[in-house]
Amino acid sequence: MYRLDKETGKQKFFAGDGTKSVISALISIFIGMLVGTLIVVFVGLNSDGISAKGILEGIKLIFLGLFSTGRDGGDLSFGFNVVNIGNMLFRATPLILTGLSVAVAFKTGLFNIGAPGQYLMGTAASICIALSVPTSSVPAGIVWVLAFCGGILAGALWGAVPGALKAFLNINEVITCIMTNWIAANLVTWFFDKSNLKNMTEAGKVGYTYKTSVNGVQTPGLGLDKIFAGSQVNGGIIIAVIIAVIMYVMMSKTTFGYELKACGANRHAAKYAGINDKKNIILSMVIAGGLSGSAAALYWLSGHTEFYWSTYQALPAVGFNGIPVALLAANNPIAVIFSGCFMSILNIAGMQLKTLTAYNEYITDIIIATIVYLSAFSMMIKTIINNVQKKKSEKGGEK
Amino acid sequence: MPEYVIEMNHIRKEFPGIVANDDITLKLRKGEIHALLGENGAGKSTLMSVLFGLYQPEKGTIKKDGQEVKIENPNDATELGIGMVHQHFKLIDVFTVLDNIILGAETTKFGFLKKKEAREKVAELSERYGLKVNLNAKVEDITVGMQQRVEILKMLYRDNDILIFDEPTAVLTPQEIDELMEIMRGFAREGKSILFITHKLNEIMAVSDRVTVLHKGKCIGTVNTKDVTKSELSTMMVGRPVQLEITKGESRPTDVVLSVRDLTVPSKVHKNDAVRSVSFDVRGGEIVCIAGIDGNGQTELVQGLTGLEKMSRGSITLCGSDISGASIRKRSVTGMSHIPEDRHKHGLVLDYTLEQNLVLQKYKDPQFQRGGFIRFDEVRKYADKLIEEYDVRSGQGAVTTARSMSGGNQQKAIIARELDRDAPLIIAVQPTRGLDVGAIEHIHRQLVHERDRGKAVLLVSLELDEVMSLADRILVMYEGEIVGELDPKKTDAQELGLYMSGAKREEKGEQ
Repeated sequence: MYRLDKETGKQKFFAGDGTKSVISALISIFIGMLVGTLIVVFVGLNSDGISAKGILEGIKLIFLGLFSTGRDGGDLSFGFNVVNIGNMLFRATPLILTGLSVAVAFKTGLFNIGAPGQYLMGTAASICIALSVPTSSVPAGIVWVLAFCGGILAGALWGAVPGALKAFLNINEVITCIMTNWIAANLVTWFFDKSNLKNMTEAGKVGYTYKTSVNGVQTPGLGLDKIFAGSQVNGGIIIAVIIAVIMYVMMSKTTFGYELKACGANRHAAKYAGINDKKNIILSMVIAGGLSGSAAALYWLSGHTEFYWSTYQALPAVGFNGIPVALLAANNPIAVIFSGCFMSILNIAGMQLKTLTAYNEYITDIIIATIVYLSAFSMMIKTIINNVQKKKSEKGGEK
Repeated sequence: MPEYVIEMNHIRKEFPGIVANDDITLKLRKGEIHALLGENGAGKSTLMSVLFGLYQPEKGTIKKDGQEVKIENPNDATELGIGMVHQHFKLIDVFTVLDNIILGAETTKFGFLKKKEAREKVAELSERYGLKVNLNAKVEDITVGMQQRVEILKMLYRDNDILIFDEPTAVLTPQEIDELMEIMRGFAREGKSILFITHKLNEIMAVSDRVTVLHKGKCIGTVNTKDVTKSELSTMMVGRPVQLEITKGESRPTDVVLSVRDLTVPSKVHKNDAVRSVSFDVRGGEIVCIAGIDGNGQTELVQGLTGLEKMSRGSITLCGSDISGASIRKRSVTGMSHIPEDRHKHGLVLDYTLEQNLVLQKYKDPQFQRGGFIRFDEVRKYADKLIEEYDVRSGQGAVTTARSMSGGNQQKAIIARELDRDAPLIIAVQPTRGLDVGAIEHIHRQLVHERDRGKAVLLVSLELDEVMSLADRILVMYEGEIVGELDPKKTDAQELGLYMSGAKREEKGEQ
């Protein structure tokens, strides 16, 4: 009897849709890491500079890069590395927020591929405010808040453009997002080119803005900088987590979220029910844009990041990486916190590969790319899980 | 010569979680019209799809002329002479009638089309069976009735002698239905065998020789049509006695609830107005029925009334207040319930759960939210109450995804939601479309009950039976105008049909 009970318990666990999403995400990650490993092996075998030991080290770093503590003697050493973890959390902050940006839009039936553009507009606004408002007359804390809100607002406005075009003219948001991305890239380049925020003082630096700490504006550490001493982490990660929780509550507990999701799932039925579908589509994109803007603000207001403003030829990867973060999390705002951290861990692993071995950091990009592909297949993986379950239950029935 | 042209023996077809066909045996004689009767979800379409090669059965055999055959895809079926007219026509709108008929079976020489032979053959067939079509017209320009004749010609052109008709009369006027029946009898006389899927008892009695009844995937039996009555058939089909004719008392109209004057709604497809200067009143305690063939402006009329589309002219007064320019929510709150025509497009958010759908308009009521936060316990309580009261059946109760529910229960959920709002005006558009006799009876009774409670009911229906049995007054729409107001007690289906097809109209006067 005991065994039977245990089995039904297991079946219930696997039957949940949430569980299946988690499992399919884990499978995607696993296969992605495997592909990364294979590439490490192939690259190693084909280059003279990398020995068998080098290959092994590369593989170790892909899986354990976060816990790398450098080299001890000739060998890689691993252990609890507060600097790595702190840096991981710092880099996870914007990823969580752009991930939320994409996830919230997805939940309301919109594909926000415009996160890079919204991120850039948020960047420009927050850096501009943080460097221009004199901290001699306005307290630095207030300037920080102004810059943070300015970043959100700029991102939100930039998100509103594709939203409005979709709502009123029914133009596909993917197309308008791509266009607004490049408009943002050029606009931002032009703006900084004409501004006096360019860093001209440090020799050899071309195309960077000043750090916001030049004006004394910098995200408070909230104790995290003490815990993870020597790393870049600050209170931004806490703000990102709070925002994720707020998004979760908003989407699943409030009438506002109910309306947004209804518009996303069936615009016609929402309209039939008296919900203002146009308003809600615009609001979805405004929220998504604001989230991307906040990602930018928290990254650039840290005080030790310098923005390379001559960005007209490239869009920020952190904007696009919001898509795999959201996909891995199956668009659940709470899960986005974890998938954002995971992406950031890969990022750290990439840096460790670069500094400690003959490999470069692009291997982690391949892992991310593989995971993105597989995330798109998560439906298929779910189906496979279903089929395996069905077969198992059939076998059990025959016994 | 074997007795049966087609034998389907002990067919079993399963889908995940459901047995769609359970040990069904169906035998078709040469030259007979054999009706297949059953509720929605009884397994009729599945059985026909098995015969047409779209599904493979888990168990059972199919015999053609006594020989066992394996039908693995529709091409096999065509080779065996089995043809099917689907409920939703499979025609290419921008092709001509002739091109549609020969598509897939073109006569060619050195890879070039030889349409002349094809044209002669089709013309000959059309002559012989009285299937009037214009071979050079594009499908998009011809009537639905003619499109159906094209589908029939497609089967004949392929020399099919076993013809499956899947609910062929749903889109036709009474006159066209009569014509179709005559055509079917002609086929039977020629020795062709016909399988006729339907849930309309009148048609079965009129045209079929034998009837096989399915109920919940099981075969209830095969009977000779002349040995049974309509009520016996419906009892077999539903599994319990059904009241076919709705009994309703005299209507007692009270005050005007809805008053429409000169309502004009532009069309989305063409430049003309879809609804042209329509005026009428609906009073409390009466069912006013808008009758007409599909596509004569009924949809746009309702969209104009409910606010889904903007009207270009006219005025609408509901419960004494002018709602001509009001938002959808304003209209709804003023006192309008709307059972929409398309339950998947407008009626439900299919990815939402049943309970979320049941509060689709009410989620903002203080009962269901506090400070913008949804009161999930109250929503659940309310949903459970409606599910109980209106007998909405689903896999997991209130948390079932609407998408996974059967069509009948989806409709029940919409009706529960709309009637429970207790609005003085109920606009019901084809509320029984695609539903089975049992569910139809239930919905009809509810509408009459609402009328007797003093509600004004505006019913838009394409089903003449429904119009005749429910309406207290009938307004016939033709090409966007109301061409006649009829009293169902003083008219019959024939006269109604004449108005619907535009052959007859009242001179417009003050009503």
